[in-house]
Amino acid sequence: MNIVVFIKQVPDTEDIKWTANNNIDRTNMDSIMNPVDKQAIEAALRIKEQNNAEITAVTMGPSKAVDVLKEAVAMGVDNAALLCDSKFAGSDTLATSKVLCAAIKEKFPNTNLIMFGQSAIDGETSQTGPNVAVRLNLPFICRVNEILEINNEYITVNSENDNYKYTYKLNLPAVICINNYIFKPRLPRINGYINSQKYFYKSYNMFELNLSDCDTGIKGSPTYVSKVYRKDDKRNCKFVENAQELASALKEE
Amino acid sequence: MEPNGILIYGEFTQDYGIRNVVKQLLTKSRELKEKIWNQRICVCLIGPRINYENIISELGSYGADDVIIVSDDRLKEYNHNFHPEIFTQIAKKYPPRIILLGATEQGKEIASYCSTKLETGLTADCSDLDIGENNLLLSTRPTFGGQLTADILCSTFPQMATVMENIFKASQIEHSANAIFNWIDIDKIEKKVELVNIIKKNINTKTIENAKIIVSGGSGACKDNGFALIYQLAQKLHATVAGSREAYERGFITKSQQVGQTGKIVSPDIYIAIGISGANQHLTGIKNSGKIIAVNKDKNAPIFEHADIGIVGDLFEIIPNLIRNLDKKEEDNDQ
Repeated sequence: MNIVVFIKQVPDTEDIKWTANNNIDRTNMDSIMNPVDKQAIEAALRIKEQNNAEITAVTMGPSKAVDVLKEAVAMGVDNAALLCDSKFAGSDTLATSKVLCAAIKEKFPNTNLIMFGQSAIDGETSQTGPNVAVRLNLPFICRVNEILEINNEYITVNSENDNYKYTYKLNLPAVICINNYIFKPRLPRINGYINSQKYFYKSYNMFELNLSDCDTGIKGSPTYVSKVYRKDDKRNCKFVENAQELASALKEE
Repeated sequence: MEPNGILIYGEFTQDYGIRNVVKQLLTKSRELKEKIWNQRICVCLIGPRINYENIISELGSYGADDVIIVSDDRLKEYNHNFHPEIFTQIAKKYPPRIILLGATEQGKEIASYCSTKLETGLTADCSDLDIGENNLLLSTRPTFGGQLTADILCSTFPQMATVMENIFKASQIEHSANAIFNWIDIDKIEKKVELVNIIKKNINTKTIENAKIIVSGGSGACKDNGFALIYQLAQKLHATVAGSREAYERGFITKSQQVGQTGKIVSPDIYIAIGISGANQHLTGIKNSGKIIAVNKDKNAPIFEHADIGIVGDLFEIIPNLIRNLDKKEEDNDQ
């Protein structure tokens, strides 16, 4: 079984820098692997423990995004690939999903299961996974918090919301988005770190993915940021000195 | 056909009422309609074969001009295979200028599906909508972990957005809607996902959306027995417990208790934020609150700029003290 886990490098700092076009200036920023993506890797590794599976971690980003691939290899994934081209910069979710789909079609066509983290802490749109599934015409389920069964034919998963717990069966190939805070990611072992240093990280550019520049990046993105600002809806805060005053203030309300 | 109008997904409540977010989107759409010439507001309902008369007149009273109905008894409950595809077919048949959906589980799933099929842009979890340059939809949403707010435009049609529930207020007018019944061949829709089982969860937490008083904990309360204090204080005040994203991430509250951009929008009379620094994404969820009271040890925490009453200090000292003082006040009142 071939599993692809799509992961994302996200900024770790509160000090956000933007380019002149109001896009994120990712070159001058400390970055981490999106936390829930680590949990998606963990979920994939747990599948591998029970089944004969090969896991590939794939990320789209600048060359330094290779750091999150290293982390994935250290955790125990078998392969890693970077989708990297200056033409990809500024992609919105629609353009990003085109690049990720191209990676599946061109480089990993025998994938049985595609996994995502539910959402990224930077954009929090939760759209990329479903978009990829729809574009590839594959079944998908979001907010997966349990994988009940997987074989070469199908996968059954649990997903829940405020009121209900659902069990779904999806024929493979399929896409699942892993819910936050369920699959506690393992820490890499020494061997993992050694592997992550030795591994040769393949990188694919726009042409290698058979894409044109109207598909991706700013050109391929229908949505664009017109303005970014700090919202001002401040109130006048009256400070109290101690709990007693606070209790009195509460009583008045 | 030139794209015209605003198409809204008419999400149902569990007993086939209209979900509040639909009424709120209709109310907002009336405002948007004023700013672009000659647009109609249309709601698409996807549900079982029931009498839609009252629903149509209710939607009309919030500003719907047309109500498109696709009904079939296989559509009693939301279906992963059917609803997104049916909504997309309707959006193709009556190409709108703007498509709005609630940022609910259903709404977000349909929006992702529809925008990919129509190859158009989608802005998720919006906190405001307006009409911007060239009469384009201007969608406002917090970005970058809620640190900043972004105004986003879309260069393709339809322009799609999902909007947080309870961000806008709903209001009614004298107005009625036309009904348009549509038939879609459901048998032709590919069934990719099979629902094997549903279990209703026992919910014992009070819903935070309707709470009058909320005691809410953030990262500061996620250590030691911080949340035990939050619950104690809530009990004392007959309040409902909520929390920040971090409190959810760390397992102190459930998803339905999470306040903010990716959680719930609340509007209590009193919101008590304990150990919450006040990231933008959290503030989005509380700005409709009556009084906001903040307890934080960092006097520079942004929450204080958005609070009415603040106290700087250690919550592990302040909250037990506060509870004791409230007890004392009760005794005083009893005498």
